[in-house]
Amino acid sequence: MLLPNADQGILDRRAEIVSALKSMLPAGCVIDDDKSMSAFDTDGLSAYRNQPLVVVLPETTQQVADVMRWCRDNAVKIVPRGAGTSLSGGAIPLSDGVLLGLGKFNKITEIDYENRAVTAQPGVTNLGITQAVQDEGFYYAPDPSSQIACSIGGNIAENSGGVHCLKYGLTTNNVLGIEMVTMDGEILRLGGKHLDADGFDILGVMTGSEGLLGVVTEVTVRILRKPASQRALLVGFDSAQEGGQAVSDVIAAGIIPAGMEMMDGPAINAAEDFVGAGYPREAAALLIVELDGPETEVDFLINAVSEIVKKAGATSIRASTSEAERNQFWAGRKSAFPAVGRISPDYLCMDGTIPRKALPEMLTRMASMSQKYGLRVANVFHAGDGNLHPLILFDANQPGELERAEEFGADILRNCVALGGVLTGEHGVGVEKRDLMGEMFTEDDLKQQQRLKCAFDPQHLLNPGKVFPVLHRCAELGRLHVHHGKLPHPDIPRF
Amino acid sequence: MIYTPQNTDEIQSILAQAMDSQRPLYACGTRTKSGMHCQVSAEDSLSMEHYSGIIDYEPEELVLVVRAGTRLDEIDQLLAKHNQMLAFEPANLSKMFASEHGGTIGGIIATNLSGSRRISAGAARDYLLGFDAISGRCDQFKSGSRVMKNVTGYDLSKLMCGSYGRLAILSDITLKVLPKPQTVQTVCLTTDTLAEAQASVSQAFTSSVEPSGGAILPVADRFTSYIRLEGVAVSVADRLTALKNILDGQGEVSVLEADESTLFWQQITNAEQLASSSGQIWKLSIVPSALPQIIEIISSAHTCSYIADWAGGLVWLNCEISDTAASSAIIRNAISAHGGGHAHLVRGEAGEHIAKFQPQPEQLAMLQSRIKTAFDPLHILNPDIMGHEVPDSTARADAGEKE
Repeated sequence: MLLPNADQGILDRRAEIVSALKSMLPAGCVIDDDKSMSAFDTDGLSAYRNQPLVVVLPETTQQVADVMRWCRDNAVKIVPRGAGTSLSGGAIPLSDGVLLGLGKFNKITEIDYENRAVTAQPGVTNLGITQAVQDEGFYYAPDPSSQIACSIGGNIAENSGGVHCLKYGLTTNNVLGIEMVTMDGEILRLGGKHLDADGFDILGVMTGSEGLLGVVTEVTVRILRKPASQRALLVGFDSAQEGGQAVSDVIAAGIIPAGMEMMDGPAINAAEDFVGAGYPREAAALLIVELDGPETEVDFLINAVSEIVKKAGATSIRASTSEAERNQFWAGRKSAFPAVGRISPDYLCMDGTIPRKALPEMLTRMASMSQKYGLRVANVFHAGDGNLHPLILFDANQPGELERAEEFGADILRNCVALGGVLTGEHGVGVEKRDLMGEMFTEDDLKQQQRLKCAFDPQHLLNPGKVFPVLHRCAELGRLHVHHGKLPHPDIPRF
Repeated sequence: MIYTPQNTDEIQSILAQAMDSQRPLYACGTRTKSGMHCQVSAEDSLSMEHYSGIIDYEPEELVLVVRAGTRLDEIDQLLAKHNQMLAFEPANLSKMFASEHGGTIGGIIATNLSGSRRISAGAARDYLLGFDAISGRCDQFKSGSRVMKNVTGYDLSKLMCGSYGRLAILSDITLKVLPKPQTVQTVCLTTDTLAEAQASVSQAFTSSVEPSGGAILPVADRFTSYIRLEGVAVSVADRLTALKNILDGQGEVSVLEADESTLFWQQITNAEQLASSSGQIWKLSIVPSALPQIIEIISSAHTCSYIADWAGGLVWLNCEISDTAASSAIIRNAISAHGGGHAHLVRGEAGEHIAKFQPQPEQLAMLQSRIKTAFDPLHILNPDIMGHEVPDSTARADAGEKE
């Protein structure tokens, strides 16, 4: 994985750049000593580290705009950063780029229960929003596993998901408005507490743009009333095939559970060793189905889903009868990553999505890949929406194992695409999957995406080296070729 | 000249020719909603009406892939057979525009036209999983996929929804579909003031009864709020009781049963209460709690009838506003003074002082113009459809430069 070569001209101007930034920001907002900067040298993809040119932590939107305009005028790159929990390396610094941290934007600015909207600065954590409204019985629905740490601004950048997005959607379906700053230093407001865009849905395309189009400085999200009750089913199967079939059968019956999670044998046992959640160790696949809503509805659906999974060949079925028991069902799933961390010195967490029906086939392929690469794999899935999280176990101290694990991961993602799926369901492309974009997209697809980037940032100064394997100059992307008086595609017959 | 391509090769040919000759195209479907937009500055049309049909439908995957020219009624019938639906409840404006049917799915995506369930389930833009298209550069490209959860690359689907065909010709459209609710009931509450009506609807939406629709209709001098409950029968029955308890003492309560409910929400989604009257029809997207104030300001200056949906966040307004600076500014000024939002003159002519679409702040308008240029550098697709465009000259020189 390579970041773009650092521009020596910029490195040579470091002192001047630092001093310019210090002159436009309050004291303590510019960090330029190596030791302090090392806290920012990676994100959730911690196998990779890189020291930034300088770190700035502005306090106001205007300061963000000043920094960005200055950097644009001086052709200095910027890497935006929220809480630094990206699992795809979206916030990994550039040695010739300013790291723009939004950590000081940590206040909730308005809670509007009547319109079910919370407005917050981007550095507020995902969970912080729920915590601010839970006493009134509300919550913010998207719940990425990192919700205790990840920021709402970062959630916008990555279009974060979570275990409940089967029913409640991803970040993009729960954001009402943002304030953002463009690379030109312009401050724009998109959306608000009303619905839908007037003009192009720039809010929609900003969400999930991985910090390449603009920097979010304020966020308005939809909050929901906490469901009246929640219950979960814990279902064991002798084979992943049966488990996968059960997932399809539930959906086909017209039931959309709040969450539908699956774990394979190795993940079940790692979790059981770690937290003793009471999982059936002998099961080859474990399904957790969560249902929420009014009590009668939940009870009704618990029975309906129990019947469906029984028919699909479930070997064990337990329905939670208390909140404590429901939490216990989830305990193993929620600690699956650290549990796997105990049985292996290192692991890589992948994030492809496939059509639900392809789940059994994918598991078969994964088993043979595991043999081919000589590395173990444990699987947890957001089965309801086909989002896989294979954990590839390796030991970074063994020469070549990291590379082998990465190749294994790339192979898994290629298979996801081949089965009709995608490279990433919720973690983002970042640097991690950047070089695989060609597996899913044609050159024309990628060029069109980059032309959009050019509309926001024609000099490629904002988070370059992420998402796109090849950076084309905007002038080159925009050019239309004329051939014998014909504009595009001279080979296409005209009417 | 009206082109009606039947395959993507033909679409590409038409676009290539339009670019060669610099003759812009009016990209459209069956033109059932052409009254929604401004006059397009193009002599030729590219109608997608013959590029139609279901490409793939997998009910258990909740995925439907269709050609853009597929008619909405065909899609509805197919989904209904499998007890599924387009959850965003696309509006059928055929009564408003005196057209024979509700148009095509491409038209729904181009206008991001969603119905009453928008407030609880999301808009058309939330259900477009992916697409294949031909850009204004004549390049075939795709974005998104057929899976529910995907963050690979920019989410261009969002840009396409509500773009009025200004960026690309969508050919194949991939949608997420959902199971139909087992049953539906609607609680109706009559109150004396609009503020009371809005407060009651808001109370329902902040409670745990999970409404899937919240409308308000003025009736004589009073107001009736309609709150829709959908789901499995046992749950709807329970929530109905809970909702009645919440609304107890606020006014007269009655209930619409399933069939009546279905019909009622269709009428609300399609704004049929206003469609048969003549005159302008405006669609306002506002902050729900601002409904009473905004209506008061508008009513004090103009004689209007209206209905509200989306818990107060959507207003369909029927009135006749003359094309003078003073009278046309009232609606948009009222919105911006009360939390923001936008107004679209859905039916009625634009004028010197009346923009059909919400005017954009300058910086945003320039960014929109650069985005347009990134997809359609020669402005071949639907020029001026949302109002007179002044192409951003720098962006155009950059992105549309010829060799």
